Amino acid sequence: MNRSLFSILSCLILSLAVTGAAVDFEEDIRPILSEYCYDCHSDGVEKGGVALDRDQTLEAKRANLKLWEAVLNNLQSHIMPPIEKPQPSLEQRKALIDWIESDVYNIDCNNPDPGRVTIRRLNRMEYNNVIRDLFGINFRPAEDFPADDSGYGFDNIGDVLSLSPLQIEKYLKAAEQVLERAIVSGPSEPEVIEIASDQMQGGNESGYTRWLSSNGDIVARHLVDREGTYVISVSAGGTQAGDEPIKMAVGVNGTVLATHSVKAGKDKPQIYKVEHQLDAGDQRIYMSFLNDYYKKSGPGKGDRNLMVEKLIIEGPIQKGDPVYPPSHKSIFIKQHTEQNKLEVAREIISEFAFKAFRRPVTRGEIDRMLLMFRLADRRGESFETCVRLALQTVLVSPSFLFREELQPEPNNPARVYPIDEYALASRLSFFIWGSMPDKQLFGLASRGKLRENLPAQVSRMLRDTRAKAMADGFAEQWLQIRNLDLVTPSKDQFPQFTEGLKEAMRTETRMFFRHIQRYDLSVLDFLGADYSFINEELAKHYNMPGIQGDEFRKVTLKGTPRKGVLTHGSVLTITSNPSRTAPVKRGLWVLENLLGTHPPQPPDDIPEFEETAEAASKGTLRERLEKHRDSAICRSCHARMDPLGFGLENFDAIGRYRLMEGSFPVDSSGKLVSGETFIDSRELTHILATEKKDEFVRAFAERMLTYALGRGVKHFDRCAINEIVAKTQAGIYKFSSVVLAIAESAPFQMRRGDSFRPDTSE
Amino acid sequence: MNIQTKKWALPRRSFLRGLGVGMALPVMDAMVLPAVAQTGQQLKARVTEDGFPIRMGFIYHPNGVIVPNWQPKGSGANYQMSPTLKTIERHRSVFQVVGGLDHHKAKSNGDGGGDHARANATFLTGRQARKTAGADIQIGISVDQVAARLIGRETKLPSLELSGDRSRMAGKCDSGYSCAYQYNLSWKNQSVPMPGDANPRLIFERLFGSGKQRKPTESERLRKLYQNSILDLVLDDAKRLKSKLGNTDQRKLDEYMESVREIEIRMQQAEKFNDVKMLEYKKPSGIPRDFREHVRLMYDLMTLAYQTDTTRIASFLVAHDGSNRTYPQVGVNSGHHAISHHRGENDKISQLKKIDHFLVSEFGYFLDRMRSVKEGNGTLLDHSMILYGGGIKDGDRHSHVDLPVLLAGKAGGFMHPGRAVHHRAVPMCNLYVSMLKIMGLPINRFGDSNGYLKNV
Repeated sequence: MNRSLFSILSCLILSLAVTGAAVDFEEDIRPILSEYCYDCHSDGVEKGGVALDRDQTLEAKRANLKLWEAVLNNLQSHIMPPIEKPQPSLEQRKALIDWIESDVYNIDCNNPDPGRVTIRRLNRMEYNNVIRDLFGINFRPAEDFPADDSGYGFDNIGDVLSLSPLQIEKYLKAAEQVLERAIVSGPSEPEVIEIASDQMQGGNESGYTRWLSSNGDIVARHLVDREGTYVISVSAGGTQAGDEPIKMAVGVNGTVLATHSVKAGKDKPQIYKVEHQLDAGDQRIYMSFLNDYYKKSGPGKGDRNLMVEKLIIEGPIQKGDPVYPPSHKSIFIKQHTEQNKLEVAREIISEFAFKAFRRPVTRGEIDRMLLMFRLADRRGESFETCVRLALQTVLVSPSFLFREELQPEPNNPARVYPIDEYALASRLSFFIWGSMPDKQLFGLASRGKLRENLPAQVSRMLRDTRAKAMADGFAEQWLQIRNLDLVTPSKDQFPQFTEGLKEAMRTETRMFFRHIQRYDLSVLDFLGADYSFINEELAKHYNMPGIQGDEFRKVTLKGTPRKGVLTHGSVLTITSNPSRTAPVKRGLWVLENLLGTHPPQPPDDIPEFEETAEAASKGTLRERLEKHRDSAICRSCHARMDPLGFGLENFDAIGRYRLMEGSFPVDSSGKLVSGETFIDSRELTHILATEKKDEFVRAFAERMLTYALGRGVKHFDRCAINEIVAKTQAGIYKFSSVVLAIAESAPFQMRRGDSFRPDTSE
Repeated sequence: MNIQTKKWALPRRSFLRGLGVGMALPVMDAMVLPAVAQTGQQLKARVTEDGFPIRMGFIYHPNGVIVPNWQPKGSGANYQMSPTLKTIERHRSVFQVVGGLDHHKAKSNGDGGGDHARANATFLTGRQARKTAGADIQIGISVDQVAARLIGRETKLPSLELSGDRSRMAGKCDSGYSCAYQYNLSWKNQSVPMPGDANPRLIFERLFGSGKQRKPTESERLRKLYQNSILDLVLDDAKRLKSKLGNTDQRKLDEYMESVREIEIRMQQAEKFNDVKMLEYKKPSGIPRDFREHVRLMYDLMTLAYQTDTTRIASFLVAHDGSNRTYPQVGVNSGHHAISHHRGENDKISQLKKIDHFLVSEFGYFLDRMRSVKEGNGTLLDHSMILYGGGIKDGDRHSHVDLPVLLAGKAGGFMHPGRAVHHRAVPMCNLYVSMLKIMGLPINRFGDSNGYLKNV
């Protein structure tokens, strides 16, 4: 036995002595187990490989945590005992659950184990946001980074965020690009890029030219490295006819910059220029033919066509003195002279590194960064360039890329330590803003006043526009609407499912989340809100008259079959298959994301449900599915999942309301395993929002805690979750009460030493 | 700070965690690699008789195949082409159909559901993925990375990883496995995947720079002069930081340091590879909407990378296992994964045949490209060995034995295409050992190999 194991065991024994057993197993628990569980799980009968009488002592049970976690989960989700067997009363069920939590888990809520978060590197969203807040420039370099892997449903999990060489390659490049943009280090020479006709799209290619013979566009794409003024020249000509010359509009990303009269013929193209400000990034430049003319015979006979030979993009063009962007000024906080440049550089770098590392920087760290400055300085680079290189180092440093949380005795698992206030500031800001702390948070942390001002800060942060990151990072993953990028409803069956509609669906759910967050409404609104955010396109899809225009607005859902997030087109679409609804998927989605129960994995080799045309003639999907779960082994699980999905059957695979499925009327009534009955989705969502609200709040808290911590929730987090739920209830379910309760919880405020021991035996 | 004197070794990793739950120690990566790989020394890659490097490639076919349409009739040179493979009949002489290779580590082996995640994770590693949603991910180094580690420094990029999945699933992946297992083919070591790039523009830029004809920019000038110093400094930062962290965090810093060192070495050797001559190839502008176009661009880029000797080792996850992509190009509007559980229904089977046909015919496009490049007395493909296949045999059953595998190219005479071969229940990893040997590497074991495949 290694030392850490020993020390943990002795801790366990110690705490056992202190807390003692709260419940009498023989008296209170064994009879329940005996009546409802032992038939299948004792005396050598081990259905599913589970024996509940094998761990005789409490210590043995504690050592077999995995088993008892599964028991707890199955009790909570009513998966066990199986539906056709005698069921314990709700009180008995609760007694078992409480006993597992208090005695088997042996958690002391007065002395909680906060767990520990593995050091997290910034994920793509965080990286972009940090760059935005650090420089005040809107440039999203992380779009080019490899996708972040996810675990526990989120892509900000420390253990899963890995660092491949490709990642480092991208960090180096991003640091370079960001600083190139943020710092002006002298006049830069304009670049001249030629785009030949074969690199364009639209019209017809002919030799080294491209032709438009009717009104239309020729399009070229160009990636601009540096924003600034560019001259866009088009070499064009054509065949002239009719009583006016060819008219060609030149535009960028949908905005017309100039309309040229092209008088040149096809053999002698001429250059037509326009000057324009271009942002960095991918630009779509287009040339439109505006006045097609064709007359086959008679007076005025002729054919007017536009020919484009090439496109020349030149820039950025510097006019007069360099213009210093705000980012430049915010970095160069002080003027330097030849004599004091080292001191000024030190100040500049310290200031920047403080923000970038999100904590005070040591003198040694600054000295190392200054090495870079001095190296470049010796080679005769400009002051700005020297600073730029030093800052580039900062942006590739592990202290920037990782969110470090230092603690004394990091490898002593018995040591629980409140994280320092700078680390706390970062935990808060990355949780709520998906980004670095701001001045105020840094200020409070530096004075050691953040903890005592937590409620005020949380409510300030939630009101800030940066809190939109919770929609990007948390909501899109919690509700899984990011998967809208992956769904491909059948084009034959659902021709109305366009990119525009998909984006409208996404916007609806995001705005809905933002609304609850922004106005600090009850989180129960996620289930029961009778309002949503809809534009004309979505209103048509939902068959709601009288809503016009692209703007999303808050509308009432009263009198419609919709209510809460469960009836959003986004959720209904991502929980469907391409060609049909998937009630089981929907049921599972509700269980996992809204009710926080996790049905066990289906046994290996279970057939997926068929969806052929032939099958569809045998009745509604629902009738067929009920047949499918006709085997005992699947029943108890499906009894819990399926009704939830069936209740939503009035919504098709892209979320449209329907009364008929083919030639059969849709039946969306049902009965939940806990006994509530409903006749349609409105009643179902009502049940969820009222009867099931505590389960929902617990599930919501658990998902959000996972996101906030960047690690999976463990059994010892139960105290924290219970407390978060209690505080949320006390806070009349306000959104901010959940966020604050999480921020105040032990796992968020503290970390313990690491019990992991690298193996050295090899 | 001279990197060359540093030991470029795998940091020792470990698997005992948490409350000391006893478990058998898996075989370390290091144990399957010759000692030389642990010191970071480089081996000399084998060249063909006519003096060309041997290239290695791996392409993944997701969700299994319709077996009767895949398997050829007969064996040897006169085998009868199967319906699915008919579409690449024109390449008959340059590929072999390989049957009877197994991935036992992709089976449940007590871990329950999750065959798609496992198929994907095991395919190039030959290891059992540890079932975890996040904490303590563990699989094993992949075959391409073994080669990249040993001979990767002879080229500008040690290896190239491509992916056809433009975005990743949010929420949960397959049955309690972290999404990392399901979206990555290539693994640098037990816990660090080599993510595939899906954007053809970014891949092109990695291979050939921005592709613009111009003099070096200020950034490029600075990069050349100072990037190595920057890397040295941050490595130093990392070392200092690491010493203050707990053990788990230290492993993350190890990942960082290993990757930085690798880039550092790459930089130092960059000059050697500076004069890649620009080919007549248009820089792609992003991910095309149409999947066929996307896949073809990826195959083009792979060909270019090999052709210019920018890398000799590449892998391409056309779509991850479990992918529910539709294939409207060939009239399949149902999700691939959903219909792969076809239960013998003709309607679904016929759709799956179309998908298999589509994926294989695009592979045929790649072979066209590889054969169109003349090299010495033959073609680029003659100097290559390209494995095409998947970790599931039959999508309906999730079986991981007798996997669908094609092996294209002559590998400079070491491989014998133009036939169908049926091996008898041999670990897939035996083929990998053979491929590594052909690359000139003294490797005798990999993954769950129990020898190597002689008849290739």
